[in-house]
Amino acid sequence: MKKRSDRAAKAYKKKRINHEDFSGWGFIFAAMAVFLIFTLYPVISAVITSFQNYKPFGSEWVGAQNYVDALNAPLFWKSIKNTLVYTVAVVPLSLVLAFSIAIMILPFGKKLQSVFKALYYLPGIASGVATAVVWLWLYNSSPSGIFNQLLGVFGISSVNWLSSSKTAMLSLILMALLSSHGSNVIIYMAALHGIDNTYFEAAEIDGASFMQKIRYIVFPMCKPTTLFLLVTGVIGSFQVFMNAYMMTGGGPDNNTTMIGLLIFNNAFTYGKYGLACAQAIMLAIVIAALTMLQFKVMGDDVEY
Amino acid sequence: MKLKKILTSLLAVTMLFSVTACGNGNDNASGSLASESLESAASADTQTEAAKEPVAAAEDTITIMVPPISGTYTEKLAVWVEEFEVLYPNLHIDVVTTSWDEHTSKLTTMALAGEAPDIAEVSYGSIGTFVEMGTAVNIADYMPADSLADYDRNALDYMTLEDTLYGLPLYITIQALGGNREMMEAAGADVAKIQTEGWTYEEFLEIVAAGTNSDTYGFVFANAGTTTADFVSIFGVAAGISSNFTNDLKYAYTSENMLSLLEAVETMTSSGYMPNYAVEATQRLVMLETGEAMVVGKAMPLYESSVNKNNAGIEDGSAAEGSIEVEYVFLPVPTMEGATESVYGAVDGFIALRNNKTTDEHLQNVCLFLDYICSGERAASVDNELYLTCVCESGREIQKSFTLDQSELNAEATARAISKVIAPPTGVTAEMSANAKTIMDETIVPKFQALLAGETTAQAMYDVVCKEAYALFGEENCASGWVNN
Repeated sequence: MKKRSDRAAKAYKKKRINHEDFSGWGFIFAAMAVFLIFTLYPVISAVITSFQNYKPFGSEWVGAQNYVDALNAPLFWKSIKNTLVYTVAVVPLSLVLAFSIAIMILPFGKKLQSVFKALYYLPGIASGVATAVVWLWLYNSSPSGIFNQLLGVFGISSVNWLSSSKTAMLSLILMALLSSHGSNVIIYMAALHGIDNTYFEAAEIDGASFMQKIRYIVFPMCKPTTLFLLVTGVIGSFQVFMNAYMMTGGGPDNNTTMIGLLIFNNAFTYGKYGLACAQAIMLAIVIAALTMLQFKVMGDDVEY
Repeated sequence: MKLKKILTSLLAVTMLFSVTACGNGNDNASGSLASESLESAASADTQTEAAKEPVAAAEDTITIMVPPISGTYTEKLAVWVEEFEVLYPNLHIDVVTTSWDEHTSKLTTMALAGEAPDIAEVSYGSIGTFVEMGTAVNIADYMPADSLADYDRNALDYMTLEDTLYGLPLYITIQALGGNREMMEAAGADVAKIQTEGWTYEEFLEIVAAGTNSDTYGFVFANAGTTTADFVSIFGVAAGISSNFTNDLKYAYTSENMLSLLEAVETMTSSGYMPNYAVEATQRLVMLETGEAMVVGKAMPLYESSVNKNNAGIEDGSAAEGSIEVEYVFLPVPTMEGATESVYGAVDGFIALRNNKTTDEHLQNVCLFLDYICSGERAASVDNELYLTCVCESGREIQKSFTLDQSELNAEATARAISKVIAPPTGVTAEMSANAKTIMDETIVPKFQALLAGETTAQAMYDVVCKEAYALFGEENCASGWVNN
């Protein structure tokens, strides 16, 4: 009798495990299929294409020629330099701005916090093109441009915002800083809410000032969030395309040609798909190296 | 649990189908690619025969990709497609409409994927990209000679690279300057004389200087972003540069003519006759309509209609804010000393493209529709809307019955401008054309923007252009000294 019940229990367990296996494998298969089709296949395809003079009806193998051409092109290096300048300016400032806003919003009640979060996030839901059109209007270089009218009030002459090498990059940086920190504010808010109140209570008993609390409690506790935002920010910044494409087209004098824009132009304007793929692969390597560096420098004492 | 099972099964089956479908798609593609190569090889001997054979009656679908060539083009195209499908019930036409902004990148992407539309609107300067890609089709192999005879030779030359005809022209646009008659006359210009006899660069500069004041720029040319290339091409004729290449097929922008052109820009911006900032395409017309500009570029004859509409809108409030009554005059580009007067003409038309499914039989059908859409009433209707004269005999015949709402002098200036258009030299290869586009986009346009802003000099920019051109074409293939084509 006992044997029979053991067998039944084993059969039930086996059946149950099989069902669970099936469900598990099904979900893994779906996720793997999406990854293989939409991520791995394009990446492998891009690597192969980067060694070809790509033509839709019969590509030729050219070895590492596309990589050599890319590395020998001054515009490639200029675009890397522009992207670096953009990243170095936008990412840290954007983090500082988002952190400061989050700290300022934190003392308010829940409802008011939500209002501020919504307000800061709002530009993020607008399409990039629509945002760019508004900024083009603001940056209009003629005296009737909004920013120029503003300067005119203080007796300052019109600025050639997007057409001058001196101000074009600055204009793009300003645009990025003021229109895309909503999600960072929300993430920092979540991190700040996650800090246990006892730390602050203990600090208050010890007589810590506001800045001391920020330095010794908030900064360390928000470090994982900061690292996450820094890594994703650098990756996003290196892939920036829309702002330069819509606002300056890479000009003047290629001073705002970002690597993303250069890749786009090579692929979709000149039809040099092999060269574009080679540049994209090199960009991926640079991003991977920078990400590893960030984890190495900041990630040692970060626990998730 | 049951729901989980159903969901899992559904996802797995969906994925299985997706993967299978992708696999099948690739099989078909490679199959058609293989047959394509075989057909290409086989058709080499039979190509001339293909054009003479009657079009097959089998069902076929032709895809055409068009931007808004004129204000009403896409609406009219729908009607013409219906008419064509009545004439040829076995042929179905799929129309893909695009905006001007996305047209080139969308077309290039599709062509690179081997999924180009059968017919696409392409300007002369971009044909080389598709030839280099191996997707452009020699349409002379699939069209009877008598159909081709309908088109003007000089217009067909624009659609030709390395003696191979890749498409049919729809119109020759004449792009020059436009102006405000009253302001120009106040600045001392004899407008009628300029329209009928042309003007020198010195006369132009004198009038532009006289027309410049604190409220008005004497000369405004749209030059923001890629429209910078328009300035170099359109105003380049002032210095005698009518094409990327000279008659002896040397790259033209390394000649002394280019230096003179750049020096002219330097003079005009530093003197304040023209803005030292980038002006958007729409902005320059508004500046003309509001009196902020006296002479504008690029301008075309059809702008007379836009300006007249704006004049009419001043009373009902639909005009641009601050508009004044403007009598629009179409003007030729001035001519510098040592250059022969010419007008920049760009041909826009349709080219036939190869994709994964292309066969000889299909190409015959494609060329049948290509000819239909570029000739007769269709061509006449477009050209009339653009205030242009047809480049095919069948279109011109029909155009005779149309009347244009154009002033007599503007009509005369238009006719004169058309006669001054110089076709590009024959013998330009696809590689030369593609390289010229690269140097224009990557060197001339960015440097020109810096020149406008006063951040580089004409000489410095010229030196950079020469350096880049020598590297790309070889110094022996670049023009030197003053060139007069």
